[in-house]
Amino acid sequence: MTANRTVVEEPRFTVRNPPRTPFRRKRFLLPFGISAGVALAGAIALFAGGVVTLPAQGITVVRGMLASKRDFFEDAEVKRVLMAHGFQVDLTPVGSREIADKDDLDSYDFVFPSGQATADRVRDRRKGKHLVSKKPFFSPLVLGTYREYADALLTAGVIKPQGGDPALYYNLDVPAFVKLMDGTLTAGPDEEYWKHYPPLRNGNRIVAQTSDPCRTYSGSTWLALVAFAANGNETPHDESAALAVARRIKPLFDIEGQHGDDLAQQFFAPEGRTFAPIVAIYEHQFLANQFRALEGAGRPDTEHVLLYPEAQHETVPEFLSFTDAGDRLGRLVEGNQALRERAVRLGFHVFGAGGTYADSELAAELTARGLPTPRSGVGDTETWLPDLPLLERMVTEVGGCR
Amino acid sequence: MTRSALLLVVLLVGAACTATPAPRESLTVLADEELRVLEPLWADLTRDTGVELRFDYRGTVAASADASDGHDLVWPSTDRFLALRRAQPPLSTSIMLSPLVLGVRPGVAARFGAQPSWAELASAAGRGELRYGMTDPRRSGSGLIALVGVATAAAGTGAALTPADVRCDKLQSFLAGRAFTAPDLDALRGRLSEVDGVAVSEAVAAQAGLDVVYPRDGIVLADFPLMLRKAERRSGYDRVVAWLRGPGPQRRIMETGHYRPVNPDVPRTGALAGGVGTALYFPGAQEVLDALLAAYDRAGTPSRVVFVLDHSRSMAGERLDALHRAFDVLAHSGGFDQFHLGETITVVRFAGQVLDERSTTITSRADLDAVTSGSADLADHTAVYSALDHAYRTYPGATVVLLTDGENNAGLDREAFRAAWPIPPRTYAIRLGDADPAELAELTRASGGRVVDATPGSLGEAVEEIRGCR
Repeated sequence: MTANRTVVEEPRFTVRNPPRTPFRRKRFLLPFGISAGVALAGAIALFAGGVVTLPAQGITVVRGMLASKRDFFEDAEVKRVLMAHGFQVDLTPVGSREIADKDDLDSYDFVFPSGQATADRVRDRRKGKHLVSKKPFFSPLVLGTYREYADALLTAGVIKPQGGDPALYYNLDVPAFVKLMDGTLTAGPDEEYWKHYPPLRNGNRIVAQTSDPCRTYSGSTWLALVAFAANGNETPHDESAALAVARRIKPLFDIEGQHGDDLAQQFFAPEGRTFAPIVAIYEHQFLANQFRALEGAGRPDTEHVLLYPEAQHETVPEFLSFTDAGDRLGRLVEGNQALRERAVRLGFHVFGAGGTYADSELAAELTARGLPTPRSGVGDTETWLPDLPLLERMVTEVGGCR
Repeated sequence: MTRSALLLVVLLVGAACTATPAPRESLTVLADEELRVLEPLWADLTRDTGVELRFDYRGTVAASADASDGHDLVWPSTDRFLALRRAQPPLSTSIMLSPLVLGVRPGVAARFGAQPSWAELASAAGRGELRYGMTDPRRSGSGLIALVGVATAAAGTGAALTPADVRCDKLQSFLAGRAFTAPDLDALRGRLSEVDGVAVSEAVAAQAGLDVVYPRDGIVLADFPLMLRKAERRSGYDRVVAWLRGPGPQRRIMETGHYRPVNPDVPRTGALAGGVGTALYFPGAQEVLDALLAAYDRAGTPSRVVFVLDHSRSMAGERLDALHRAFDVLAHSGGFDQFHLGETITVVRFAGQVLDERSTTITSRADLDAVTSGSADLADHTAVYSALDHAYRTYPGATVVLLTDGENNAGLDREAFRAAWPIPPRTYAIRLGDADPAELAELTRASGGRVVDATPGSLGEAVEEIRGCR
């Protein structure tokens, strides 16, 4: 089916932008817009086959499959800029690691997995076919937690504040954290339970909650990080070593049992303390929340804090396009100044300007908003991600992926 | 061709602007039965989106079991059961939130304190002080989640439940308080007046005007994901999801059904603004749920514990006190390990022969007290084997707990006993005073039980073992 990308007249879609007054939206614009949308769907059906030529003001519907980076494309301002450049992006949300396995992979204009390991698998599947890669921005994997949980970890001696009062960012000693989770950090009893650290009353074992390592990049990356730490800060170099480490860390992942989805959404919800007290998320999700807090309440959110693993791994999402329209969208996302600025406002590190982390555009934005700049550790440590087949082996062993 | 199509677009748009829009698309939805409460919203959804939703209602567990179902959309209370089967449809969007709680009638909550643990609730249920109703855990999400919550708290590992954790019968004291299992939510609502409370979502509790008890150690959140089952219905699905997650409908979902908005920009109001305790880690394997359901099916199967108490003269004084203390620990252990309603307790007193025996099926705390406050008259000799032989013959299938201080010097001797009971029923021996540990060890080992010291710690462990939990 080729109707996934077609040409329609622009103004009819403006109703998708943020609403004006509820009265106008409800009583007129929305039914009108829906009607228009349905009518246009009819037109799309008629034009299936893609024989239409583009009027200058026409918009292109681009279909993409992506995971956490949909935060970018779902942003109202990003949508507006894209629309102004003639793009409407239809998103299909999936876990990053599922992207490469989807039967209908080839039917999309682009995919945007959250990290290289998955991008490489997509590249394998698209061998001999059109594929253009862009890396517009990146964001490291971190742990998000609540202040009183950070205080517990501080007491346990596995994190150190980066500074500031109250501190928003901490460095996480992952090997110590792994020992804390398995109860061997000290000889003390019950240290692996949150309730060991008053005033917490949570009787659960200490673990970082992750999304499913079988399905998501963040889950598998955290798994690799734990494996690296459990292996004496070394990547396993062969299959038997990888399996041995995987078996050692599997009990730590079994504590959580079933993994949740949309951990960032749960973490920032008012019930986050209950359901997602400490989660593996991306830095951009945290910083976007801080910017929202500044715009809303006028002050930073000091309840949520970030833990940066001391041994880090750059998680660089790759925008992989399979069609001409996808290529054009990729170039726009990478090069357009308004979109780059918006990406920064959404908490991403953008590539291309500034160079090192400390003087990046994101750091400038944080400083301008009165927020401290975290030291992410990115670039400080050697790559610790094992070879892709070994990582797959470990993820499958730990996650029991089917 | 281009021109005629554009003309068609204009005509269609024109027509839509001048007439009340009739639904242009109809989607069938298999939804959790508690979503009926949102029916007042759907006329507006159809007006605003052009999509009409046609609902069939079913319990979430039942809906999750049937992946070949033909509906366009599925809207369960949680996707956890589908996830265990790795049967999630490709698209899924959470619409609203509601934790599973105990909804109790006004005044009942005061019995438990501010945020009781599941153990405290199980204890109250076991004593008959909390009678509750639940929905069928083989069909209903809230029924099965309630079992997961209680069992996870009972296991007390602070981790997701494993099949090994479920093998013991700790659930039983909680299940003893169950007044009924309703086939569906409507039936449950119809029987509210019979019980102190019901295991339901916070939203259903609030809809029924019940007070909400949040068990502090085992909250599970239902997040009501709307799932697209048929990929070709994507555009309608997207419009419905966008509408449902908009601030206006989110507010109405909260006001109409007492659900917590998933949209972070919509503030929770009233009781929904409060905290809800600690979540539990949800089990990651279907076999855990299967084991739980098996434990659930065992509930109500009569179980019996027979206490065989030595009342020979050597027990006079301190030893008899020790016996009573030990017996008190065994009988009144709290939480998940205590004796519970429906369980039968038998006390056999013996010296040179069986002195007397009393049984009671527990219907209240008073029954337990009556049977355990036995008389203290003592007699000559100690016929341990005869007393056990009597207990085994009279109460087949029971677990036997022997409390004694002495050696066998009357009745059956060891050889005769061994010949009669090469593999005796499971027996625990609690050693008081000079009782010969080797002899007791031999006797209990063959039965699968063991010798227990009369210290509170050992007795507590023994109670868990008697319950099959260690």
